[in-house]
Amino acid sequence: MLDFSVIGKPAPANRSRDIVTGQARYCPDIRLPGMLVGKLLYPKYSSAIITRLDVNSARMLPGVVALLTARDIPGENSYLYALPADQPLLVTDIVRYQGDALAAVAAETEELAQAALDAIKVEYEPLEGLYDVLEAMQPGARQVWPDRENVYDHLIIDHGDIDLGFKAADIIIEHTYYTPLVEHAFMETEGAVAYLDENGVMVVYSSCQAPHRDQIQIARALGVPESRVRVITPHIGGAFGGKDEAHVQIHTALLAQSSGRPVRIIRSREESILTHVKRHPIIIRYRTGITHDGKLTAVHAEAIGDTGPYLNAGRDVMNFVAATLSGPYYVPNARLEAYTVFTNNPICGAMRGYGIPQASFAYEAQMDLLARRIGMDPLEIRLLNGLDTGMQVPTGVTIREGRGMKACLQEAARFSGWKGRLNETPQPAPHLRRGWGMASIWFSIGMGRGIPDHATATLDITLDGSVILHTGAADMGQGAHTALAQMAAEAIGVKFETVKVIGPDTAITFDAGPSVASRQTFISGNAVLNAAQPIREVLLQTASELTGLPVGILQLRDGLVLAEGERLSLTIAELAIKATQENRCLHADGFYAMQYPEPLQPNSYAYAPAVFTFGTQVAQVLVDIETGQVTIEKLVAVQDAGQVINPGGARGQIEGGVIMGLGYALMEELLVDQGSTQNPNLGTYLIPTAKDVPALIVKIVEIPEPFAPFGAKGLGEPPLTPTAPAILNAVADAIGVPLYRIPLTPERVLTAIVSVPEIFPNNGS
Amino acid sequence: MSDIELHLVVNGAPCTVQAEPCLTLLEILRDKLGLTGTKEGCGAGDCGACVVLMDGQAVNACLVLAAQAQGAHIITVEGLAQEGNLHPLQQAFVDKWALQCGFCTPGMLMSCYALLLGNPDPSPEEIREAIAGNLCRCGTYQSVVEAVLSAARSTREARHA
Repeated sequence: MLDFSVIGKPAPANRSRDIVTGQARYCPDIRLPGMLVGKLLYPKYSSAIITRLDVNSARMLPGVVALLTARDIPGENSYLYALPADQPLLVTDIVRYQGDALAAVAAETEELAQAALDAIKVEYEPLEGLYDVLEAMQPGARQVWPDRENVYDHLIIDHGDIDLGFKAADIIIEHTYYTPLVEHAFMETEGAVAYLDENGVMVVYSSCQAPHRDQIQIARALGVPESRVRVITPHIGGAFGGKDEAHVQIHTALLAQSSGRPVRIIRSREESILTHVKRHPIIIRYRTGITHDGKLTAVHAEAIGDTGPYLNAGRDVMNFVAATLSGPYYVPNARLEAYTVFTNNPICGAMRGYGIPQASFAYEAQMDLLARRIGMDPLEIRLLNGLDTGMQVPTGVTIREGRGMKACLQEAARFSGWKGRLNETPQPAPHLRRGWGMASIWFSIGMGRGIPDHATATLDITLDGSVILHTGAADMGQGAHTALAQMAAEAIGVKFETVKVIGPDTAITFDAGPSVASRQTFISGNAVLNAAQPIREVLLQTASELTGLPVGILQLRDGLVLAEGERLSLTIAELAIKATQENRCLHADGFYAMQYPEPLQPNSYAYAPAVFTFGTQVAQVLVDIETGQVTIEKLVAVQDAGQVINPGGARGQIEGGVIMGLGYALMEELLVDQGSTQNPNLGTYLIPTAKDVPALIVKIVEIPEPFAPFGAKGLGEPPLTPTAPAILNAVADAIGVPLYRIPLTPERVLTAIVSVPEIFPNNGS
Repeated sequence: MSDIELHLVVNGAPCTVQAEPCLTLLEILRDKLGLTGTKEGCGAGDCGACVVLMDGQAVNACLVLAAQAQGAHIITVEGLAQEGNLHPLQQAFVDKWALQCGFCTPGMLMSCYALLLGNPDPSPEEIREAIAGNLCRCGTYQSVVEAVLSAARSTREARHA
């Protein structure tokens, strides 16, 4: 264990005092003089031709200051996240899903803005939409786009020889798995506030994950140079991928430009659920070959993702599904396929896990069925096949540090009492069945080869020895700013409390890329280290000159100077003053880009990532076989973190992920009928409450990752992904019936109990 | 419809507000009084982000109409800290990392504050019951339970000291 003074030590979340006192300002809390309320008009249909869009009488209403349709946009009428850009900011002639916007209005009050929307005359010619992904894939099916196939993308990753692999198998099993459409339900809905400042710069407060990408998009829509747009992120009330692509910030800026006044748009909860991207519902056909002694020989998996009508991140998510479908196992022969399919259902894209929740659900449910089939314990089959350092995976990448896989498995087995579970009573009451399940995952950190993945961070040390960290990385609550501040403190040698984090603000912070892909700890963390290095060197050189001691024996720690571990009567503040007098620079920008250590195999997956993390979870459940109700009795989550930066933050990411995974397993499903969401509020789309969650047992495995800052790798998304399959496997174990679909609502569990004969005996073996 | 004159005591200070009768207590706090610490997460009583104390009871401010609040004593998250000193509950939320994005935190704090008013020594189950109406998508529930236990303990100890 390295001797850190800040890394791995408890520290409060950045700006947590502002949060608990109610002083933290989120977009809806920003009030500017003369600010107008903006609102968007959404369509009555999810698939229709617009035959008339008449805004003339709405424009004349009192209190309406700006009203925009597509033709009023001075620049590009497009979201630019996906290429080719296919989603208009305001639709012109055709509606492709329920969340398309037709017009934008800014008025003196919310009521007047709504009155203006009500006064817009729209006439539609409804079209027969495409709402079934399998139907959309049929030859001759109607097309969502006249010039694009419904099957927009079909990725095939081939590795080894699939035919030989299945020939080498003693047993082959094949099943199909289904995952639901899922909503982010961040507590703060999407919002933005925009105004033109006295220098002619459009300032936009944006609740977002990618402020520098917002800046580009807003500039192009406004038809102004990017230097005339400034994006600031205030406090962000959660995002989970749903605020990666722009939502209302571009419309808000357009209205501010048109009206000449400050404008804010805050989506209602219903608007939020109806419009933003979702987690793909995916159908996964999964065929696996295994030997009698439990060695995987081949996997052929096909994932079909309903991505809605616009590209967004849909194809990238589906490609990620394919790249992960072999699971955290050594699979010598694999064919992994992913279809990205257009429909008129809600758009799907980034949501915490980016395809891995779906993939891991399928490969881990399948793993348990394999274990039962050959009579092997679920723990043993995973240990036997688990990935490790130096193994090559189907994307052609060789795992650089893979010890976390088996370490997590063993820790999870230990803390859950896995081997002792068979001694516990499987049937505590006539109507109750107890079951155990485990699931392991692998997860890649960063965007993947070929996708820009870099960050800049800026550090300044002031004359009182405090540090200012400028970062363009959005903190949506995941704790990035706290972790980066701790890394800056450790790397320079000051106390955590002396580091002040500023940003993101595109006027004064550099691009750190989006806060996605569990990447900021790794990428921005390395950028912070690269910025700290020259500052530390200046301080040490100055200390050497002041003390006459060689640089090699000096250390900076907690704001003090040490020589061979002995504290000197010299502080970093004194060094900073001296260095300034000597005309030395105490400012540095650090840049870091993800590095790929090896050339890829020919024909392998283009976006293969370089850094992997692992995790295992164990669930113990109780199923009421009369009602189908599932109660989670115990949940053990073990996660590979490389190196913990902040214990409170790390624990929060794991517990939060597990709880979101529990919702995915048991209750969450956005119900869509003919493209129209049936449960667009938090009273009908249920997410876990404090009473749905058992006491969680969280353990962290620390195996430092090469090239990572202090060995730390991302924690934001991975802990969510093993939860649903662990629970599913536990429920299947309890009721003795295999299950292929989440969420495990009481109705679904009960149906499985009554309609399928018990095909494997209760409780394993 | 003409405005009504509303008399409230908010965080200990009497105030009078002219308000359209259709406004909710949440809108009065946020838009008329500028107390934006109380959040709106759904506007329908589903999420608990807007919980405040009304005459000692935790209520969803988005479900209380202006006239229903006539004469009420309201405590919001801004009223917890005294003279710049955090309330033990606020301090415990900071220390235990019982927050992530922080958007549910004001409502969560007020539900916990209401619980401790009536029950200075709650069990973990009682805490979970008290916050069952406060959705936290970041999933901080377990840390919130620990923070409330810790605040209750430190408050009892301070009282006995």
